[in-house]
Amino acid sequence: MITSMRKRTMWRAGAVLAAGALALAACSSDSGSDDPSDEPTDGGTDSGSGEQVEIRFSWWGSDERHTLTQEVIDLFMEENPDISVVADFTDWGGYWDKLATTVAGGDTPDVMTQEERYLTDYANRGVVADMSTLDIDTSMIDPSVLQSGTIGGQLAGIATGINAYAIVADPQMFEDAGVEMPDDTTWTWDDFKEIAAQISDALGDGVYGVQDYGGNEAGFNIYARQQGESLYTEDGTLGYSDETLAQWWQDLVDLRESGAMPDGARSVEIAEGGPEQSLLGTNTGAMGMWWTNQLGAISSAAGRDLVLLRLPGESEHERTGMYFKPAMFYSISAETEHPEAAAKFVDFLVNSPEAGALILSDRGLNINTAVREAVSGQLDPLEVQAAEFLAELESEIVDGPPAPPTGAADVPEITGRINQEVLFDTMSPADAAAQFTSEAGAAIGQ
Amino acid sequence: MSVVSELRGMGGKKRGKRQPSAMRKGDGKAAAIFLAPWFIGLFLITAGPMIASAYLSFTDYSLLAPPEWIGFDNYTRMFEDPRLINSLKVTFLYVFISVPLQLAMALALALVLDRGLRGLPIYRSIYYLPSLLGGSVAIALLWRQVFGADGLVNSVLSVFGIEGEGWVSHPDYALGTLMVLNVWTFGAPMIIFLAGLRQIPQMYYEAASIDGAGKWRQFRSVTIPLLTPIIFFNLILQLIGAFQTFTQAYVVSGGTGGPADSTMFYTLYLYQKGFASLDMGYASAMAWLLLAIIAGMTAVNFLASKYWVFYND
Amino acid sequence: MTDSAVRNDAPPSKPTLTEVAERYPEPSGKPSQWRGRTRSILKHAALIGFGLVMLYPLLWMISSSFKPDAIIFREPGLIPTEFTWDNYTDGWNALLHPFDHYLLNSAIIVFGSLIGNLVSCSMAAYAFARLEFRGRNLWFAIMLMSIMLPIHVIIVPQYILFSSLDWINTFLPLIVPKLLATDAFFIFLMVQFFRGIPRELDEAARLDGCGHGRIYFKIMLPLSLPALATTAIFTFIWTWNDFFSQLIFLTRPDMYTVPVALRTFIDATSESSWGSLFAMSIVSLIPIFLVFLFGQKYLVKGIATTGLK
Repeated sequence: MITSMRKRTMWRAGAVLAAGALALAACSSDSGSDDPSDEPTDGGTDSGSGEQVEIRFSWWGSDERHTLTQEVIDLFMEENPDISVVADFTDWGGYWDKLATTVAGGDTPDVMTQEERYLTDYANRGVVADMSTLDIDTSMIDPSVLQSGTIGGQLAGIATGINAYAIVADPQMFEDAGVEMPDDTTWTWDDFKEIAAQISDALGDGVYGVQDYGGNEAGFNIYARQQGESLYTEDGTLGYSDETLAQWWQDLVDLRESGAMPDGARSVEIAEGGPEQSLLGTNTGAMGMWWTNQLGAISSAAGRDLVLLRLPGESEHERTGMYFKPAMFYSISAETEHPEAAAKFVDFLVNSPEAGALILSDRGLNINTAVREAVSGQLDPLEVQAAEFLAELESEIVDGPPAPPTGAADVPEITGRINQEVLFDTMSPADAAAQFTSEAGAAIGQ
Repeated sequence: MSVVSELRGMGGKKRGKRQPSAMRKGDGKAAAIFLAPWFIGLFLITAGPMIASAYLSFTDYSLLAPPEWIGFDNYTRMFEDPRLINSLKVTFLYVFISVPLQLAMALALALVLDRGLRGLPIYRSIYYLPSLLGGSVAIALLWRQVFGADGLVNSVLSVFGIEGEGWVSHPDYALGTLMVLNVWTFGAPMIIFLAGLRQIPQMYYEAASIDGAGKWRQFRSVTIPLLTPIIFFNLILQLIGAFQTFTQAYVVSGGTGGPADSTMFYTLYLYQKGFASLDMGYASAMAWLLLAIIAGMTAVNFLASKYWVFYND
Repeated sequence: MTDSAVRNDAPPSKPTLTEVAERYPEPSGKPSQWRGRTRSILKHAALIGFGLVMLYPLLWMISSSFKPDAIIFREPGLIPTEFTWDNYTDGWNALLHPFDHYLLNSAIIVFGSLIGNLVSCSMAAYAFARLEFRGRNLWFAIMLMSIMLPIHVIIVPQYILFSSLDWINTFLPLIVPKLLATDAFFIFLMVQFFRGIPRELDEAARLDGCGHGRIYFKIMLPLSLPALATTAIFTFIWTWNDFFSQLIFLTRPDMYTVPVALRTFIDATSESSWGSLFAMSIVSLIPIFLVFLFGQKYLVKGIATTGLK
């Protein structure tokens, strides 16, 4: 009895080591290869040979995007019967957990959707392939937009479309308050604060001029750019002065104190509610800062058409600050077994007018200028408004901001949290600016 | 099936042997059989990932690239991380306030819903309903409907002329609303209490009433002592669960632990570090610190249980 | 002092099985006087009142599920001004598969987990509660430790493990661990209940010639029906609601389960279908509510009401 007990113990000890070793071995060997650049070109002899290949495409979003993306996939598979594309989708939060885990497990999706703040992390760690070596036609894409997905000289992602960060305003509210709509090419930040206060005063309790916008660093980036600074520099460091950031937050404090913006608790609550529970969405506020592709969602929540305005201060300082942001990127795994099939699929997503006609502006205003024109007739009035707004901006925009450095994925969280400290007066704008600089600097390894 | 018949056969063979020592000898073999699935699970499924996470806690691991050994760096970093210290404070505060409250609530309702009233199955189900919602994404919205700036609580307060705060998103009160949320979902411990109450042999009550004990005496001298193993169980489990509180805080704060880190629970911070900041090495180190804390608290409770938990065996 | 009073009344140490059985009469005690009746009316009133407070958020969700999407947040009152079934019909068909597809997937996982937990955890619990073996306390401590690490650091190594077994995108990573008693919570639960069963019952069974297999089947399991029911109900509910591991281990939409499917209605960055989310949340609550409603009669079938055969 005792000996058999001992034997069992020995076996168990072995099993622990085995299971542990198994997990560890997989940890270190299966995940991202060190030299991604040479992988995709020599791996794929499969597609085109008539053999059936399967690739996985993953994205985030809600049910509408899932449905229309599946239609695009079906269309692609009809045209390419030898390639079957498997969908893999979830909401924004779950997407990144799942993506990182599958990468760690060596199961990176062949084609994935990326976002600016994570693309650098994924690119610098060799997870995504250099798409310039693959057979994807990028001739119809604006070179400056294409540049936004280029990291370390490699084409890590191809933008799906472009957005701009803008003011969304409710003309009905302006009218109810008896306030004239501003000329957004000339208005200053002081005008903006004044207008917001006037609307709050005129419409009384529970209705506000503007929703808190301090939790999104894009707004500050524009503000800094107007003054010749920027959030990040080309070298991957922070490129603004603390005074500028402190002034940015001081504006928010002023707005809150004048009653033009809700108090801290209400602001936080609203911010977490997304477009549907925003001030504009619930008809309790006149202005907010959003991405241009969110205009439709907010308008349908509000039950009336809203309009896009430039951020204030575009003609106030040295230069304009507004810029185009790639809404998302398509990227291809550096380890995909079927790089040619993956490339074919991305090429279809980017260049096919049929795909463009399904996607419309769901992933931002299409970056392929030919497709954009081909589908312009199918856009709904709000999408047309966004497209026209972006077209007008094109001539005013000086340059695009550099791609965020590695570690920038933490910055939105830092911005949101420190903004809340300002909202609740637990930090002065100056302290908040210093704190932000120290935390964001640490995050990007400055 | 074969295991069953084998066990039955084993039992048959033991016929006649009554000495405790003889029984104990058979115990080892029987234990091996009864524990077989658990042992297999432990070594094949549970242990590997646990050991892996222990290893990863000594590495710089971004999930996207292979881990690199960095020794104790993650552990030393933890002591200099003010947000980690804050998350520990938040978590301990939550554990020490909401666990006793939730258990008291669960026990009280289990006693009320135990017997002696019509329609108890319906009441039990209704009182359990909130717990069914669990970590549903809908909770975030429901909680704002109750504790938001324009929520139910403030509507009630306004009747009395009090202007309430936006409780759920105010740094001073947000944690409190999560404690209320935890107490609100008292269903699980309540069920365990209910089951435990039914486990108390009726004869003890009869014996007590023959001794002339009234309801209160019976409660104190029969119910409570015989329920102590279950109270103890609930305490340990809620303790472990509360230290790992994640879903509710994640859902209600939209994943931020806000406002201003006021609901940044330890596990939520760990998750953010691991998945949002892609610093899984640090997250693993945090997890092992948490394990040490929970294990310590559990051990203290097990030691203390000798003085208040009453087992029938 | 009170303990000893109870103990003095406990039966002599070695009764036979049948003798013990006779000691557990059916519970008696109906409040017969009218004083009891007013008390019970008061109790009902209190329970209903408190229940309404408890249920307010849920009622709000039900009411919102019948409102058109556009007015859910603009008119957040409890009584809908406009009534529509659209959220249910749209929500049911909004995703790639009709919602019953996800309900079925969840049901398969729940069923497997249920069997797994009931069998494997009760077996392990019997060993910990009743058998003496070397290192029992150590193994018990290890068992408890296995539930002390947060899932977030375990999931990645687990994924790697299951991926190397080619189990990703199957229900195996979600079911097999349950068959192997990895839900230590339930082992601990049943240990506590088993230890609450008077030892004299085992002793009596041994006198009758039962081995451990028979004691486990004929005494422990029937007498801990509440614990088994608790395990079953919790396994059902927790598996039904478990989002994270199902999200990670299932990547194909046709394998998605209810919680994963529900998440696809909302997205922080674009338009969300709250009405559909509420409607389908309610649909997915119905099975667990029914399980609870009908399962609870076993919860309260304690030792006091179960006869021994």
